[in-house]
Amino acid sequence: MIEPFPFIGLLLFSLAAGIVVTMISEETHSRRVGIIFSGFAMLIAFYMLYLGVTSGSINVSESYPYYIPTFGIQFLFQLTPVSFLLAFMATIVAFVTILAGNIDREEERIATSLILLFEFAAIGLFASSNLFLFFIFWDIGVIALFFMIYLLGSANRRRAAMKFIIYEIFASLLLLFGIILIYFYTPVHSFNINYIATNAYSIPGNMQTLIFLLFFVAFLTNMPVFPMHLWLPEAHTEASTQGSMLLSGILTKFGGYGMVLLFTMLPIGQAYSVYVAALATVSAFYISFMLMVQNDIKRIIAYTTIVEMSIILFGICAVNTVGTAGAAYAMLAHGFAIALLFLTAGSIKHIFAERDIRLLRGIVSNATSTAYVLLTGVLATTGIPLTAAFIGDILIFIGAVQAFSIYGAIPLVTIIMFGAYLYYVLNKSVFSAKEETSPVDYIGMPQKVGYAILLFFIFLFGLLPFVVLNFFNV
Amino acid sequence: MTAILIIAPLVLAALAIMLVGEEHFKTVKYIAFGASIVTLLFAILLYQTPPGIETYSWFSIAGLSFNITTSTETLNMLLMMLVSVMTPLIFLYSMGYLETPSEQRRFYFEMCLFAASMLLFSISAGFISLFIAWEMLGVTSYLLIGFWYKREHAATAARKAITTILIGDIAMLVAIVLIGVHYHSFDFATLMSQYQNTSFLYLPLLLILIAAFTKSAQFPFHEWLSDAMEGPTPVSAFLHSSTMVKAGVFLIMVLFPLYSQTGLLPVILIVGIISAAIGASNALASRHIKKILAYSTIEDLALMFIGIGLGALYATILLFFVQSFYKALLFMGSGAIMKANEDEEDIFKTYNSSKNRKLYVALLFGVLSIAGVFPFSGFFGKALLGSAASSNLPVYIMLVIIELAGGIYIFRWLFIPLRNMNEKEETVYINYNSIPPTMIAPMYILAILILLASFSYIYFPTFLLPIVKNVQQITWPEVLFVNGTAIVGLLVANYVYRQGHRFYMASKHKNLFNALNNSAIINRAYVAIAAAFMYTARAISRFDSGVDKFTYSFSEAFIESGHSIKGLVNGQVNTYLLAFIAGFIILVIAFAL
Repeated sequence: MIEPFPFIGLLLFSLAAGIVVTMISEETHSRRVGIIFSGFAMLIAFYMLYLGVTSGSINVSESYPYYIPTFGIQFLFQLTPVSFLLAFMATIVAFVTILAGNIDREEERIATSLILLFEFAAIGLFASSNLFLFFIFWDIGVIALFFMIYLLGSANRRRAAMKFIIYEIFASLLLLFGIILIYFYTPVHSFNINYIATNAYSIPGNMQTLIFLLFFVAFLTNMPVFPMHLWLPEAHTEASTQGSMLLSGILTKFGGYGMVLLFTMLPIGQAYSVYVAALATVSAFYISFMLMVQNDIKRIIAYTTIVEMSIILFGICAVNTVGTAGAAYAMLAHGFAIALLFLTAGSIKHIFAERDIRLLRGIVSNATSTAYVLLTGVLATTGIPLTAAFIGDILIFIGAVQAFSIYGAIPLVTIIMFGAYLYYVLNKSVFSAKEETSPVDYIGMPQKVGYAILLFFIFLFGLLPFVVLNFFNV
Repeated sequence: MTAILIIAPLVLAALAIMLVGEEHFKTVKYIAFGASIVTLLFAILLYQTPPGIETYSWFSIAGLSFNITTSTETLNMLLMMLVSVMTPLIFLYSMGYLETPSEQRRFYFEMCLFAASMLLFSISAGFISLFIAWEMLGVTSYLLIGFWYKREHAATAARKAITTILIGDIAMLVAIVLIGVHYHSFDFATLMSQYQNTSFLYLPLLLILIAAFTKSAQFPFHEWLSDAMEGPTPVSAFLHSSTMVKAGVFLIMVLFPLYSQTGLLPVILIVGIISAAIGASNALASRHIKKILAYSTIEDLALMFIGIGLGALYATILLFFVQSFYKALLFMGSGAIMKANEDEEDIFKTYNSSKNRKLYVALLFGVLSIAGVFPFSGFFGKALLGSAASSNLPVYIMLVIIELAGGIYIFRWLFIPLRNMNEKEETVYINYNSIPPTMIAPMYILAILILLASFSYIYFPTFLLPIVKNVQQITWPEVLFVNGTAIVGLLVANYVYRQGHRFYMASKHKNLFNALNNSAIINRAYVAIAAAFMYTARAISRFDSGVDKFTYSFSEAFIESGHSIKGLVNGQVNTYLLAFIAGFIILVIAFAL
C-alpha cells in the first residue's frame, strides 16, 4: 500500500538536506539550522501521529524505484505501531538534544550535523522494512555516535569511544552474518522483513537457532543487557550531554526494536523466551546492584538505562500483544525520561562544574528548576502513574505474567532497589541544605524549553495512552 | 452524577497556583481554600444522589480494559466526606500557621494535589484509579514531609517515607498485575463476584496487605511515620493522622470479604497487636511533641487493623471515622503550642499551655476523646472494639494494656506543656497571644465534630448494616473498661508529671524506659538491611570491574601478540627465504605422508 504522501521519504530527505546545510553553515548559525531541520522532522512526525489518530491505525508503507534486483534489495519503508512510536520519540529527543543539549555551546556545527546524521539513521532504521537497509542505517547510527563520543566527549573520551565501537562493531558483525544466513535460507532469497516473518518456519530448526543466537547477541550488546553491558557506563561517563541523550534515548532502542523484530520474525524465538526472560531478570538485578555503588550522576542514570532495557527485554520475550505493546511503550517513555535525566545531569554539571553526588549539595537552592525536573525525571523512571513509564511497566508485566505466570512479576522488585537509591541521591545532593555547593554558571532558556518539551511528552503519554495504544488493537 | 468531578476543583486550584506568579503569594491560600469549599459543597451534593458505580474506559489492549472506576457506595462516601470536611479546616489552619511568603505557592500546590489524590482514592472502585491515587499520595507525602528540606532531618525523613512506601507500591503493582491477568478486569466488583478461587487470591491479597501496612505505618514498616513529623504541622494533621495513613486501612476494609474468605485475618490481627504495642510504648517514651502523637497514630491505625483482624468491621469503621477529628485536633494543638514556644519540639521545653484558655479547652476535647471518656466520640470507637474482642481473651488483655498506656501517654502529653516555667531555666520567649484565630477556629470546629461524631453510634448502623452484616452493641463492661483506663491514665500521668515524680521514675526504671523507647532498634534493623544490600552491591561491583579488566586484558593480549609477530617481519630477505624453505619442506613432508 502506498500512502498518497511519502512521509518517510520526506523525513529522510529533509534530514539529509539538514546535514548538508549544517555542514556548510557558519559555526554560529549551525545550531539554529539544526533546530529548523529537526523541528521540521518533528512536525512531520506529529502530522503522522495526527493522521494515525484520526484514521485509527498506523499503516505507512512506501517503496521507491531504486533497488538492486540481483539480491532483491529494494527501498521499502513501512511503519508498524512499534516502529512508529520509536521514530516519533526519536524525532522529539533529537530535536531537544539539538535545542538544549549543548549547554556549553562547544563545537556546535560538528555536534549538530552528527545529531542530524544520527536522527537520519534512527528514522531510517525504525522505518526500514528490509534487513539490508536496517543494517546500513544501524551502522550509520553507530558511527555517528562513535564520532559524537570521540570528538565531543570529556578527557578519556577516546578510550570510551573505542570501547563503544568495538562492542558495536562486534554486534553489527554478528548482525551481518545473521542477515546473510537468513537471506540464503529463506525459500525465495529475500531481505524483506514481512516476507521473512511469514516464511521463517521453512528455515531448518538448527539454522533458526543459529540465526536467533547471532541476532540475539547483537541486539543484546546494543540494548545493552548483562553480560554485554560493559561499554555503556563508560561511554556515558565520557560522552557529552548530547551524546548521552542520544545514546540512552535512541541508540539503545535500536537493539530493543531489533529484539521486537527478532521475536516476531523467527518462530523459534518462542522456544527460547524463557531463557531470555531469565537472562533479563538476572540482568535487572545485577545492574540494580551495580547502580547502588555509583557516585557519578551520569553513571547512575546510565545504569538505570540498563535496568530499564532489561525490563523491556523481559516484556519483549513474553511474545504476546500486551508484552510487546508494553515494551514499545516503555521504550517510548524511557526515551523521553532518560533524555530528560541526562539533560538535567548536563545542566548540573554546567551549573556546579561537578557531577559527583558526594560533593554536590543543595542543588534545589541554586538550581530550583533543574532540581524539580530531576525529581520528576526520577519519578518518571520509577514508573509513577500519570507518567508514560507506568503504562509501559504495567503492560510489560501483565504480558510477562500471561507468559510466565507468577514468575513474570519478579523483575518488578528491582524497581524498589534502584528507586531507593535514586531517592537516596535526591536526598543527598538535591534536597539537602548543609554546605551548599556554590554555582559557577546558570542555564538558559533553551534548557528550560527542553525540560518543558520532554516533561510535556512524559505526561502526555502518561495521561492519554489510548492515543497510541489503539494502534496495537487493530 | 459524575463522581470523578470531585477532584476537579482541587486539581484546577493546583494548576492555578502553579501558574500564578511569585508576587501573588497572598492570593494562593484563598484559591486553595475556595477550591476546598467548592469540593465540600460538591461532596454534599454527591451525598444526596443515589449511590452507584461509574466506569470510564482509560485505554484497552488485547481485550484487557484499563478502567477508571468510581463508586459512591457507603464506605467511599464516608471517606470522601471525611476528606472534604478536613480539607477546608486544614487550609484554614495553614493560613495562620504558614507565614513565609516564598513557601506559600509550593505548600498549597502540594496540598491541593494531595487532597485531590485522596478524594480520587476515596471514590475508587477499581485497582487502576486506586493505584494512581495511591502513588500520588506517596509522592505528595514525600514532597510535603521534605517541605522544609533546609532543616537537618526533613529530606532524610521524606526519603525514608517514600522508600518504605515504594516497597508497598511495588507489592501492590504485582498484586494488580496478577489480579488483572487472572480476572481480566481491575474492578473490585468483578473481584468480589468471582472470588471462589481463594487459593489464587492468597498471594495478591498478602501483597496488598503489605502495601496497606507500608501506607498505614504498621510493623515492620512503621518507623517512617514518626520521622514524617519533620513536615509542617498542617501536613501532620492532614496526611499523617487523619487521611493518608488511613488509606491502607480503608483498602482492607473495602476488600474485607476477600480477606475473611482467604483466612488472612489472623495475620492482620497479629500485626495490628504488635504495631499497637510498639506505638503505645514509644508514645510513652518519646520527648517530641509531635512524635508522641505520631506513635499514637500508629496505635490508632493498629487498633483499626485489630478490629479488621477480629472481623469486627462495624467497630473498625466507627473508629476509622471518629479518629480523624480528635487526631487532627491534637496535631493542630501541638502546632499551636510549638508556635507559642518558638517552634520548640521537645515537650519538656514547652510551658504554660493553659495561658491561652481557648487553646487549652480545645485541647481538652481532643485529649478526652482519644482517652475514651464518655460522651466524646473516641469512647464509642474504643468501646465497640473492646466488645468485639471480649470473646478473645488474649487479645482483650492486650487491648486493656494498650488502652492503659494510651490513657497515660495522652495525659502526659497534655500535662507536660502545662507546667509553669521555672524562673531559672527561662530561655525561651513564650507568647501564646501570637496564635492567630485562624489556627484556633478549626480546632473548635473539630471539637464540635468530635461531639457530633458520637451520634454516629446511633446513626451508623442504619446505613452500614448492608456492609457489616452484624452490629455490635456496647455493653456495660466496656463502658467501665474504657472510661476506667482513661481515669487510671489521668491519675498516673498526674502522679508522675504533675506531682513531680518524673525524675525519680526515670532514674529508677531505666530499663523499662529503654524497652519502651524501641524505635532505635527498628531503625538499626533498617540500616542493617540497607547495609546488606550495599555489601552485595559492592561485591557485584568488584566482580563487574574484574570482568571489565579481563576483557581489557584480551585486547592487550592481541596487541602483545601483534608486537611479538612484528619481530618476524624484519625486512631481511634471507630470513624470509629461510622461512619459505622451511615451510616448503614441511609441506612436502605433509603431502608425502
